Amino acid sequence: MSALAAPAVHRGHAEAAAGFLVDAARAAWHDQSLWFMRQKRDRGTALPEWESLRLAGSALKAHAMSRLADLLEEFERRAIANGVVVHWARDVAEHNAIVLGILHTAGVTRVSKSKSMLTEECGLNPFLEARGIEVVDTDLGERIVQLAKEPPSHIVIPAIHWKREEIGALFHRTMGTPAGEMSPDALAAAARVHLRDALMHAGAGITGANALVAETGGVVVCTNEGNADLGMHSAPIHIACVGLEKIIATRDDLGVLLRLLARSGTGQPVTAYTTHVASPRPGAAMHVVLVDNGRTKRLADKAMRTALHCIRCGACLNTCPVYRRSGGYSYGHVIQGPIGAILAPAVNLDAHHELPFASTLCGSCADVCPVRIDIPAQLLAWRARSAAAGMLPRGYSTIFPLLGWVLSRLSRFECAARWARRVQRLIPASWLSGRWNPWTRPGRTLPVIADESFREWARREEGRS
Amino acid sequence: MTARDAILSAIRAAAVPAAPPAHLPPTPTAPIDDLCDAFLRVLTEVGGQGVVRTDGQPMDSLIAELLGPDRQHAIVVRGRFAVAENAAVYVDAADLSARNDIVRAEHLVVIVPFSAIVPTMHEAMRLMPAHSACGWFLSGPSKTADIEQSLVFGAQGSRTHRVVFDRGT
Repeated sequence: MSALAAPAVHRGHAEAAAGFLVDAARAAWHDQSLWFMRQKRDRGTALPEWESLRLAGSALKAHAMSRLADLLEEFERRAIANGVVVHWARDVAEHNAIVLGILHTAGVTRVSKSKSMLTEECGLNPFLEARGIEVVDTDLGERIVQLAKEPPSHIVIPAIHWKREEIGALFHRTMGTPAGEMSPDALAAAARVHLRDALMHAGAGITGANALVAETGGVVVCTNEGNADLGMHSAPIHIACVGLEKIIATRDDLGVLLRLLARSGTGQPVTAYTTHVASPRPGAAMHVVLVDNGRTKRLADKAMRTALHCIRCGACLNTCPVYRRSGGYSYGHVIQGPIGAILAPAVNLDAHHELPFASTLCGSCADVCPVRIDIPAQLLAWRARSAAAGMLPRGYSTIFPLLGWVLSRLSRFECAARWARRVQRLIPASWLSGRWNPWTRPGRTLPVIADESFREWARREEGRS
Repeated sequence: MTARDAILSAIRAAAVPAAPPAHLPPTPTAPIDDLCDAFLRVLTEVGGQGVVRTDGQPMDSLIAELLGPDRQHAIVVRGRFAVAENAAVYVDAADLSARNDIVRAEHLVVIVPFSAIVPTMHEAMRLMPAHSACGWFLSGPSKTADIEQSLVFGAQGSRTHRVVFDRGT
């Protein structure tokens, strides 16, 4: 088990993050790993037309959402004509039952699976395993967390929280690599043999999809490892499990999306493998399972609708100062980071009401989002909904009304600030930075409030001239 | 009501206001030699290797030379066109004996007509065959950075990836 194992019962973001931060060196390492990704993204997106591409990305998604039903019907019509079986699932239970049904009918007991956040959302692995079907996750990062019986801690880099020596120990135990072996080349080579065997001998290959193209009826899958292709083109059955918001109208739209996706996620100009598959190979079968599971409800929620535009690039996770310093498991949701913090409350506000507060509202997520989702606006809107539902985190419900009262009138604010300056001078700094104060830690003290406010200074300067 | 009808009617009930199709940014144009240079530069960055075959060089000997000892476990395929901005080559399943050739091969060689290099994915999308059963944009060899973000080539698909631009007549 890694030191950052997912808690069995989620404790709320703040508490889980505090646990993550106990190992300060490891938290700093995690922070730097993600910042490295953000820097790669910055280099990868240095195109003159980047901002117009983002505008096009936002527009093509808004267009697709405005014609969602028509596009899904168009996709279905073409896919059926191409020899693909199209299934519709309202929820997790229907999705899992459809997949199980396909596998049972074909007598499949071993499946390979490439990365799919949708199947994580649906808990497909435990569902199939409980029914005697072996599932091998074939993305290397996902295989690492699967072998460790953990969920992914990042939507693009599932094992970002694992150190090489821990992966070495895990592979020694599960794949028989030499004890102490921790070179990424050697470990990846061992995984190649292990995973190829699973991929070439599975009865079905399950994949997600990065996009469905209505114009072609095609399913688009992007990977760097090539595992999705080994799976879908080797097994007699390919099942693509897809959230229905993945639909886009045209191939032109796909061109924009592909230019945005990998650059935003890893800084690559495109993934090593971009597969557009529209029909099964001769003698094989292809299924597409279109999944709602709350997406149509989201679509009807005007203020929160654009969260459906997300293309799961991971850029907002990599840039988020809170994600980087609290780790994926502190979110307690299948999608982590800023986008997770606006998706999760729609699934269950009661369970996830704390997540919209796991943000400084610095806006970096919106700046890097390739489809320009205004994540901070939705974080704020979810905070308002938590407040309206009486679910403010502990302490907030007393502080916020008081703060609102003070801040809503300039005279009250100035009076409060004047008193705060006086009082702070009377209190010893060591006490102000004491253990009772959640804003301070060893090495991080409260700044001293200036002797006068900016307004006071300006009035004084004006009087002087 | 079937799941399909329930989902479609829920979508229509959401009554999302109409939004126009995306306006694509204008496409830069460049001479083919510049596109080739850009392609080869990006290809090196993504871990691939590229050459241009000119008049008089027999393709077989060029490929044999290019592959060296990797020849034993190599598959040579035809690419339809190439994309300068990301070093991707488009390979269509219609040109392969088996779809998983592109990932099963330890070493992959893609031969692309020199005249078929386009600047970006915008032009590339328009060159994709209209009714392709399956096709790929391949950019460099298989890779992973899932172990502490150390880049490793040959994760699960091809270990090496070579592109030959055919400029010969």
